[in-house]
Amino acid sequence: MKIIKKNKLGKYLFWLGPFLVAVGLTSGLFTGNWGIISLVFLITGIFISALWIGLQSYQTKWWNRRSTQVSTNALIAIVAVFVILGLVNFLSTRYNFRKDLTEAQLFTLAPQSQELMRRLPQSVKLWIFDVNRNPQDRELLENYRRQSSNFQFEYIDPQARPTLANKFGVKDYGEVYLESGDNRQLVQTLNVNERLSEIRLTNRLQQITNATTTAVYFLQGHGEQAMTSGQGGISQAIQGLGDRNYTASALNLVEKSQVPEDAAVVVVAGPKRELFDNEVKALQNYLNGGGNALLMIDPNTETNLNSLLQEWGVILDNRLAVDVSGTGVGLGPAVPIVTDYGQHPITKEFGNGISFYRLARPLETTPVAGIESTTLLQTKPYPESWGESDQQSETLEFDPETDLPGPLTVGVALRKTIPAETQPTPEASPTPTPRTQTPNPEASPTPTPPEETPNPEASPTPTPPEETPNPEASPTPTPSEEIPNPEASATPTPPAEIPNPEASPTPTPSEETNPISTTEEKPAESTIESRLVVIGDSDFATDGLFEQQLNGDVFLNSVTWLSQQDQQPLSIRPKEPRNRRINLNIVQANLLTLSSLLLLPVMGLMAAAIIWWKRR
Amino acid sequence: MGIVLSNIIAIYRRELQSYFISPLAYAIASVFWLIGGLFFVTILLGPDGIIPAVNQIDLQGQQLGVPIPPIDVPYEFVRAFLDRMGWLLLFILPILSMGLYAEERKRGTLELLATSPVTNWAVAVGKLLGVLTFFTTMIIPLFVFQAIAISASNPPMSPTIPLLGHFGLILLAAAILSLGMFISSLTDSTILSAVLTFALVLLLLFVDVIAKSIGGPVGEILGHFSLLKHYNTLIQGIFDTSALILFTSYIFLGIFLTAQSIDALRFQRR
Repeated sequence: MKIIKKNKLGKYLFWLGPFLVAVGLTSGLFTGNWGIISLVFLITGIFISALWIGLQSYQTKWWNRRSTQVSTNALIAIVAVFVILGLVNFLSTRYNFRKDLTEAQLFTLAPQSQELMRRLPQSVKLWIFDVNRNPQDRELLENYRRQSSNFQFEYIDPQARPTLANKFGVKDYGEVYLESGDNRQLVQTLNVNERLSEIRLTNRLQQITNATTTAVYFLQGHGEQAMTSGQGGISQAIQGLGDRNYTASALNLVEKSQVPEDAAVVVVAGPKRELFDNEVKALQNYLNGGGNALLMIDPNTETNLNSLLQEWGVILDNRLAVDVSGTGVGLGPAVPIVTDYGQHPITKEFGNGISFYRLARPLETTPVAGIESTTLLQTKPYPESWGESDQQSETLEFDPETDLPGPLTVGVALRKTIPAETQPTPEASPTPTPRTQTPNPEASPTPTPPEETPNPEASPTPTPPEETPNPEASPTPTPSEEIPNPEASATPTPPAEIPNPEASPTPTPSEETNPISTTEEKPAESTIESRLVVIGDSDFATDGLFEQQLNGDVFLNSVTWLSQQDQQPLSIRPKEPRNRRINLNIVQANLLTLSSLLLLPVMGLMAAAIIWWKRR
Repeated sequence: MGIVLSNIIAIYRRELQSYFISPLAYAIASVFWLIGGLFFVTILLGPDGIIPAVNQIDLQGQQLGVPIPPIDVPYEFVRAFLDRMGWLLLFILPILSMGLYAEERKRGTLELLATSPVTNWAVAVGKLLGVLTFFTTMIIPLFVFQAIAISASNPPMSPTIPLLGHFGLILLAAAILSLGMFISSLTDSTILSAVLTFALVLLLLFVDVIAKSIGGPVGEILGHFSLLKHYNTLIQGIFDTSALILFTSYIFLGIFLTAQSIDALRFQRR
């Protein structure tokens, strides 16, 4: 009697096993951490279940039956098949072959991104602080991860993990950060209209994995904006540069006679006093040796930089840019608002966003041979903005005599190609020297093959009888235009101030080498580029104004472009599907509708009816 | 080996014959064509369809003088259509697979089949091939309609992506049918078999959603078993061997489990 009772109790006790397992599992799954409590429940549950099974099998001795043996075999076979299939699938995800068959390669990363990922040196993690996971974004990120095991990504709900979000300084949903070691960078902020962009991500990836920081020097000593924080300081701009892997340091050209070797960009932020001639000379030399500079020059200051600017075809206007359209948003007439940006890598993502420039001076550009200039910032057209010459009077009025009607150019970006210093011996290369001043193949008439033409690009006339040792001295017929156009400059004469040892005589062997193809083959190694951005204002980058609207972006993008590290990533094109339409006329459309909606189902039904009738 | 092959072919022919003389099969096909045609017309030509919508965008762009981002209409159409077809399979395929073994059980012919010299898995393969052939013939007319629509596209589209997409559709169908066949072999009630298959396929389609909510490596592993995820890869125009292997695994698993379940039956009756 007692024994039976005990057995019954044991039966009920068995249910405790699965129950405890369930408790352990649920507590573990819901709290998300497998703490001691859930583990204790789990282990006790499993132990009780195992005990019961052992006890039961001991009592029944089921393993001696034949049916057990057969079903055990079957069970083992089934388990084995599951394991094998699982392994096969595991391997198939690891070593899979994937081919994007879409015509525009919509689901494949750009070659530049692939290359970058393939040689990703350290582990990088992408954090997306967002709750909704866009499948398109995921697809893109999966593509990145497939390329390199060093790349990870994770979606984080900033509400659920506030400490992590604070660590990154997350302000809003949709912010995407890259983290590598101690380095953290904002990639972009996602929203409904803006999905994760491969261009930005690859850009940032390159920056964050680039171990070497790029040096940016700020010229000091003439009352420039202070690099420390406070009124008129540019500490926020320097902070922004730091986030993008740039190191900012002060540069005093009075102590050093030349710009340091490692300088990627020299920033001259609003000097109040004149620079010494030696300093200007140092800057000039730097720029002519492939250097890059950002000049931000306020109105009513004499900087002694005019000669340098003239070389680049930039003239600083002494008037003050006035814009009366900003009064509605609390900006005075001396604060021009810019919503019109040039087509340039610096401004291409701005759309018609706003940036503003307190006390700015207009600029003018004149074409100079070999220099390509792009207007960056332009104020509104005349009735709303003009260049005011009379800055003493109380009232601002347009005076057609002395004032300059809008639109005014406030910022301009320029680039100049400079022949490289190092070059191979002329004998080694049968090509016409690709480093002649203008590598512009369009301007060349067909070179006459039999004669030796030292400079096929600039000889539309019968070629000179003997080898002219100096192309500058060669009788180049000047084109009809007076102003040398940088687009189609046929004059090979370089700007006078550039020492040009490369223009030395390189008699081209009389082969049928096409100068067009050769000049295009290797322009990269033959020339270096130097870049200059001139902005007629320095206030926009100072603390307080830097964070407003697009002001900071103007500064940071300018430095990024100037540092010449942008060439690779910027050349990534956004993926676009082929533009294709289906042109169905009414008859075709109706035919398709009728046959698919009516004809086919009715045929099926009729067949069913006929067969049913026959078999009845 | 030759005997096994001829056995498979024999079973296959028997199955096919049973489909093409069954009024029920034609009725199913007819319903399938009606729904498929409805999808086809609404996606392509209907008031919210892709052609009128894109025409509208084009017109607006012309009036405002704004450049329109490029749209690949036939590609989007094929993708949208195949996506809907994937969902349609969920309802149609359990009906096709429900009778595969349950019917035999009910009629009492399963013992005959189980004790015949034909191996169980040869029977399963033959049956699966038969039902798959029937399904393929059902989608052929719809494919022809799409081909007509695509042939009117300008500039012309290469048939690679529609072909890959339909290949994916057939693979998905084969995987579902194979699992449905296994479930059908477990019971003698066709209705129960259909309902269970429907539930299982729904689970396999939605495992992706569950996996995403779990996250982490467990979620990733679970997500790999999602049929829908791999089907979407294929209809987007991405050829991926891991998708093929997953579908093949499901097909193999269905056949293997069916053979095992019939084997168990043979043993029980002995």
